[in-house]
Amino acid sequence: MKKILLTSLFFLLTACAVQHRETNKLASQLYLQTPQQVLLQMQKIEPPERDYAQYHLNIGLLQLFSSDFKSAIDSLSQAKKEMAALAAISISENAAAGTINETLRSYSGYPTDRVMVHNMLALSYLFNDDIDGARVEMLQADIAMKKLATKSTLSGQLASTHLISGIIYEMLDEQSNALISYRHSEQLIKQRNLTVPIGLQKSLLRLSYRVDRNGQYELYKEQYSGFPTPLVNNNGKQIFSLYFDGVVSHKIENSLLVPSGNGEQLIRISMPAYPNVKRVSKYAKINDTNAQVSTELIENLDKTVREDLAEEYPSILLLTTTRAIAKYELVSQADKQDSLLGALVNLATVLTEVADLRSWNILPSSIQFAYLETNDTEITINTVNKVDQTISLSNGSKNLLLISSLDTPVFHYQQ
Amino acid sequence: MKIKNNFLFIAVTALFLTACSTSVERLDSQKEVDLSGAWNDTDSQLVAREMVEDSLSRAWISNFVKLEGKEPAVIVGKVRNLSHEHINTNTFIADMERELINSGEVQFVAAAGARDEIRAERGDQDLNATEETRKEMGQEYGADYMMQGQINTIIDVDGTTQVRFYQVNLEMISIKDNRKVWVGQKKIKKLIKNSKLRE
Repeated sequence: MKKILLTSLFFLLTACAVQHRETNKLASQLYLQTPQQVLLQMQKIEPPERDYAQYHLNIGLLQLFSSDFKSAIDSLSQAKKEMAALAAISISENAAAGTINETLRSYSGYPTDRVMVHNMLALSYLFNDDIDGARVEMLQADIAMKKLATKSTLSGQLASTHLISGIIYEMLDEQSNALISYRHSEQLIKQRNLTVPIGLQKSLLRLSYRVDRNGQYELYKEQYSGFPTPLVNNNGKQIFSLYFDGVVSHKIENSLLVPSGNGEQLIRISMPAYPNVKRVSKYAKINDTNAQVSTELIENLDKTVREDLAEEYPSILLLTTTRAIAKYELVSQADKQDSLLGALVNLATVLTEVADLRSWNILPSSIQFAYLETNDTEITINTVNKVDQTISLSNGSKNLLLISSLDTPVFHYQQ
Repeated sequence: MKIKNNFLFIAVTALFLTACSTSVERLDSQKEVDLSGAWNDTDSQLVAREMVEDSLSRAWISNFVKLEGKEPAVIVGKVRNLSHEHINTNTFIADMERELINSGEVQFVAAAGARDEIRAERGDQDLNATEETRKEMGQEYGADYMMQGQINTIIDVDGTTQVRFYQVNLEMISIKDNRKVWVGQKKIKKLIKNSKLRE
């Protein structure tokens, strides 16, 4: 009876690990298939309850890329709710993670996920023509970032979130709020040793000119020189362009199998890791008849997710070591009763030792930004490997474009 | 002994299963139930009632009656949600409308969306209804005042503890000359403590 139970448990647990690898594989398929095709395959997966947050994050983002904004709002809101509920510590899940493996813990999202979900929700609300809903998300993102803030790291602090907040506030003519958000974005970009994009420099100059012409504007003008005075043009169109490049890296498993000191047991250690990836970044170009602007890096998510894992590494290492000791003791006890049972338990402990490879693996690898003001009624978007797309603009409008390197149209919100 | 053990096993399993099943209980709609600490029906009803009571007790209404010799006609406009939560302001507006109509102290005019539907019906009557029952165009009752407002929040967070401060601002504006005749404010403060542990 014990042996049958052990075998069933082993198959059940290895099935979970296979499913995590399947999800990672589907994310890579985004380079070859449309988001709709990947979404259909993803929806066929029936995840265990503890993976619901990860599942809804991935499904929600695919729905956004597939222009199904209402469903994206539902799925991402569900993920947000699940992550909030899982923020508290579960003793039973920790006990399971400490004795069997980490995948038995519910996926509660990394700091980047917990903030990025608001970005994606805000964009979904915007393209669903609900700017007030988008504003609510950005306020919630601000609270989420405050909760995650520490003095020593930038964990969960996203420049892209502040930038999107700034754009939404500017669209709603809340100029002071917009300036504050742009400034937070600039500060984070500098703290991450990135170059402040020209689009953001222009936003800081534009908003400080409107809000505090003789104070902050003068300071920004010294810092970011070479731009004309940002005068208000009532017929001009403002275009805020966000570009999502590629798909973020997914985790791999690094395992080590060693015999115990007395040679009676096999001990396996498995840890998650991000592989070294050399990416060639792509950019989008936005053109009117007189000018061309290129998108510039505002958030390197490939780096941020690695920082998230690095931050969690000490606790993963501690739990892995504790688990190895617990499993060693379990095998020794079983071996004392029956040597065949001991061998079976050893096999089960080795095969159930799998690393937690879960992450929000549909996210873009980077987020870029560009800003353009034009008097033209049409602009063209130029991206690598895609046909140029034309966007029509109304007089005096404020426009947000979401461009992706994946097989998606250009999403356009006009205020 | 074996039968007794099996019996115990079934009893424990049944207990677990009933603990997991969904349960539904009908509640009085007036009963206060706070689950997450977010803005809920109780807040909406409470604010609507207190704000309308306050607005109807102020001088603008008696001044209007003295001057015009009739009750003012009011319309509820947009209540903007500037809070941290996705609040359905339509339910709040409906609560306000109910309180205003039931007070009997003001005339109440349908909102823009409802008016369009009624106008379409009048247009239809123009073509299809009999002379005796047909309602003419151009007989609408114009509102004298519009009530507009905002719901704002300030949230202070420390770990698992949160203080949520809601401030609802409403204004009664004269449609004729844009004068603000009444400004009301209602504040709600909530302390929310989330558990550090879960099941």
